[in-house]
Amino acid sequence: MTDNSSGNPLYNMAIVKAFAICAVVYLVVGALVGDLIAWQLSFPALNFDEHFSFGRLRPLHTNAVIFAFGGCPLMAPAFYVVQRTCSVPLWSNRLAWFTFWGWNLIIVAAVVSFPMGWTSGKEYAELEWPVDIAIAVVWLSYMFNFIMTIAVRKNSHIYVANWFFLGMMVMITYLHVVNSLAVPVTMTKSYSIFSGVHDAMIQWWWGHNAVGFFLTAGFLGIMYYFIPKQADLPIYSYRLSVLHFWALMFGYVWLGAHHLHYTALPDWAGSLGAAVSIAMIIPSWGGAINGLMTLSGAWHKLRDDYVLRFLIVSLAFYAMSTFEGPVMSLKTVNALSHYTDWTIGHVHSGALGWVAMVSIGAIYHLVPRLWKTEIYSVGMVNSHFWIHTIGTVIYICAMWVSGIMQGLMWRATDDYGNLSYTFAETVVAMHPYYVLRSMGGLLVLVGGLIMLYNVIMTIRTASQPTAVPAHA
Amino acid sequence: MNRLTEFFSTDWQAMTAVDWSGLIIVSVLTSLMFALYYWVFRPKNRDRFERYRDFVIHENDDFEKEVGHGQKK
Repeated sequence: MTDNSSGNPLYNMAIVKAFAICAVVYLVVGALVGDLIAWQLSFPALNFDEHFSFGRLRPLHTNAVIFAFGGCPLMAPAFYVVQRTCSVPLWSNRLAWFTFWGWNLIIVAAVVSFPMGWTSGKEYAELEWPVDIAIAVVWLSYMFNFIMTIAVRKNSHIYVANWFFLGMMVMITYLHVVNSLAVPVTMTKSYSIFSGVHDAMIQWWWGHNAVGFFLTAGFLGIMYYFIPKQADLPIYSYRLSVLHFWALMFGYVWLGAHHLHYTALPDWAGSLGAAVSIAMIIPSWGGAINGLMTLSGAWHKLRDDYVLRFLIVSLAFYAMSTFEGPVMSLKTVNALSHYTDWTIGHVHSGALGWVAMVSIGAIYHLVPRLWKTEIYSVGMVNSHFWIHTIGTVIYICAMWVSGIMQGLMWRATDDYGNLSYTFAETVVAMHPYYVLRSMGGLLVLVGGLIMLYNVIMTIRTASQPTAVPAHA
Repeated sequence: MNRLTEFFSTDWQAMTAVDWSGLIIVSVLTSLMFALYYWVFRPKNRDRFERYRDFVIHENDDFEKEVGHGQKK
């Protein structure tokens, strides 16, 4: 499909627009449910009935932020970047729209099934088997379209961002399929084909790689395209980006076992997971430094460029959480941190700091370009940046303090070896930090609402006809 | 036997097929990782990689070509 007058390709930007709008809406929805369950933990009386209790809304929150908010910013930039860097339109527009509607129907299925209590009980993969099959089909349509677009590209080189997107697609396909293998009993109930420690290992092989590939590799693809593009500067080191990609692909799949220290899992498997986790600091920091150093000599751009601010701060959070994670995987540290709120703080420093901020930066980059207009309010974007950053810092600091205190209280013993604190006493001690976490989450939600309003107004402004001066 | 040799001692006779396949996969991937580091950081290969540093900068930014956003042939 080409524009005959210019010989240029006719890119499909409508699909990118649709996914970008969904991403902003799902940011608000995911943050809303997340903050609601944070308040429910602070004040249990807010668990009004079983359908809207913490137990049922928690998987709705995790699925909404990972697959709805996380998925749409992955699909919008992937379809945008692959077209522009390959200089060809998408291989199939129909397949792209199938992916869009299929993905959104899956999200609707999650919204219905979790409050109803239909869950497989596997963390970050709670959806039941009919939806799991739908996810596999829709995901394959996304990957096939992406691969075929690369296959018909006009440039010989495949830009590194596309490698990250493709790596994410391939890995998530087999991770999702293997982890979801189950024996259906009814339409809304199935049981995993794995049992005991094997089930636990498969669960965390998937669980950690949902973080490593869905929430890291794909977003690194976003980083490698949008930072040099927004800064209008070449990437600091292309060699480092190649190393970053392959090291991530080789290494990340081994990490899951570090979630199962001090369990029935063989000790060597946990040690292997921890050792590879430490080794992953090298490529992760290499990637973060690569992105940050792209601004070398042009740091003044951060003063004026509202998009770059989101992108660069996201890399600071990426570096921080990819250092914290390996440290937490060490057995001595894990003995204190495991099962505590420290883990929640770590996850959210990655989720709110890295994933959300790089996505928000990419969307703020895309919206004015897609609708060929200026952003409605730069002041609102700046407000969003500070509100989101402060909210994230409050959230993760509250969880760090709460989690370390929790771990120390659990292990404290008196001179006779008796536990110094009851479980209830640890819960009482954590309460102020739970309230603080809810406040941090509220700020993230407010930031999301500001972004939604700003994006809607930008689109509305773009769709209004420009006034033409009257001639006498 | 000191502590280090004790830590690394292996009962090779007790290795199952799963153990061997795991060991082989880890060994192959570790070798590939070393090969990757050598390949990427070899001075001779520097220009071969770095010529793509500004790949996205030279991309055509002319959005006028996107007539109908790809929806109309």
